[in-house]
Amino acid sequence: MSAAADRLRGLAAWIVPLLVIAGWEAASRSGWLSTRILPEPLAVARAFLSLARSGELAHDVAISSGRALAGLAIGGGLGLVLGLLTGTFKVAETLLDTTLQMVRNVPPLALIPLVILWFGIDESAKLFLVAIGVFFPIYLNTTHGIKSVDAGLIEMARSYGLKGWPLYREVILPGALPSILVGLRFSLGLMWVLLIVAETISAQSGIGYMTMNAREFLQTDVVLVGVLLYALLGKLADLVARGLERRFLRWNPAYQPALA
Amino acid sequence: MQRDWISPPPGGLGVGLAGVGKRFGERSVLDGVSLDVRPGEFVAIVGRSGCGKSTLLRLLAGLDTPTSGEVRLGGAPSAARRDDVRIMFQEARLLPWRTVLQNVRLGLDGADASARARDALAQVGLADRAGEWPSVLSGGQRQRVALARALVHRPRLLLLDEPLGALDALTRIEMQRLVESVWRELRFTAVLVTHDVAEAVALADRVLLVEDGRVTLDEPVALPRPRAHGSPAFAALEGRVLARVLKEPPPADDASKPRLVA
Repeated sequence: MSAAADRLRGLAAWIVPLLVIAGWEAASRSGWLSTRILPEPLAVARAFLSLARSGELAHDVAISSGRALAGLAIGGGLGLVLGLLTGTFKVAETLLDTTLQMVRNVPPLALIPLVILWFGIDESAKLFLVAIGVFFPIYLNTTHGIKSVDAGLIEMARSYGLKGWPLYREVILPGALPSILVGLRFSLGLMWVLLIVAETISAQSGIGYMTMNAREFLQTDVVLVGVLLYALLGKLADLVARGLERRFLRWNPAYQPALA
Repeated sequence: MQRDWISPPPGGLGVGLAGVGKRFGERSVLDGVSLDVRPGEFVAIVGRSGCGKSTLLRLLAGLDTPTSGEVRLGGAPSAARRDDVRIMFQEARLLPWRTVLQNVRLGLDGADASARARDALAQVGLADRAGEWPSVLSGGQRQRVALARALVHRPRLLLLDEPLGALDALTRIEMQRLVESVWRELRFTAVLVTHDVAEAVALADRVLLVEDGRVTLDEPVALPRPRAHGSPAFAALEGRVLARVLKEPPPADDASKPRLVA
């Protein structure tokens, strides 16, 4: 395919979103769509700009991102460590896996009443919810990744004198990495979902706080800014995950740019 | 080709098996195998699938331990894996996340590790592919990288577990020539497991047949090297061994007869 045709196709993908926004703008201006229901796109853009200028936006985004990343670090880190343990050591698997598989079947959101009882409604409750949500995708995919490393490669490496940490570094971790990164991608998606719910229940700062506050004052435009921010941050997380895959899995033909 | 790291040639390792048996649970795979391989000798082991020939090789590699009997390498009882014994598997078993060069230097230490790995790659004719991922190589090239990875450790005993079995006929003959030339140059002891009688006769000083867990044929191959696949003496020997493998009456010494295996 030629580069020009490629570019044309890239532009074509934007036709539908642009038409939707144009139709939305027209419907709001003609008064057919109440601004209470859906303010015109320009109003949303204006709200975005004024929030950005006042510094409120950056503050709330920073707070929310901080919570999301802290939750990811705690839950994802634990998931990775326990996944490595149960994947590597039979004893750890026997001791831990059944229990964890049972806990996995509890939807994290079902724990909200319990979490509020335990932690109240402050920061630790939000961190707990995010952490427990991101834990399982990373745990499961790490365990699975370690177990599905080609036994022939491990035997080969052992016959070349590799054991302990060098064996782990050269063979087991890289072999498990594709699976671990799949887990990370799932987790990044869940991370925002859980944070949105947690911040919507109660928060004194963050994007959730901003939107819930705006709802009380009927500022639909600010609510929309919040929704768009979540969408953007979610997309950003996905891009980061894909970047990591392309960086760490470039040996894999499936991730090489020429074929992507 | 520059191969100064080869000097002095390490020389081959003698192999001795005395009454070696191997059982997996109830199933006996090897049963009292006794065998001596001289240092620097090239021995091929043929046999049908499941006859125990790969198990024998794994015992020599230290990947399995015999249930009975003794394996001696270089005169000493072999307890475990040794650094001067290297094995090539049927699949190349390259690490897909390491480049060709990194694969060859697996398990090597020292400042000259990369230089030695490059020399070994040059020896198998792949010096220009050092920076590539294994996924872009052909099957034959992958096996050549695996051969370089084994050679870089200056093995005194090289074990070959049907490494050419999955290659197409032309690539296989190329690889046979390469294996033969490095063996002649480096003088390690070589034990090749194969189901291809022609390959065994082309490469080995001696062809052994393993049947029902025992060595039932020990046939010296006195043909001059390099051996021409088409020569009457070659074909006659190949036919005789093949008939023995298939338990058929030996064919008349007639090279014009169609051969069963190419």
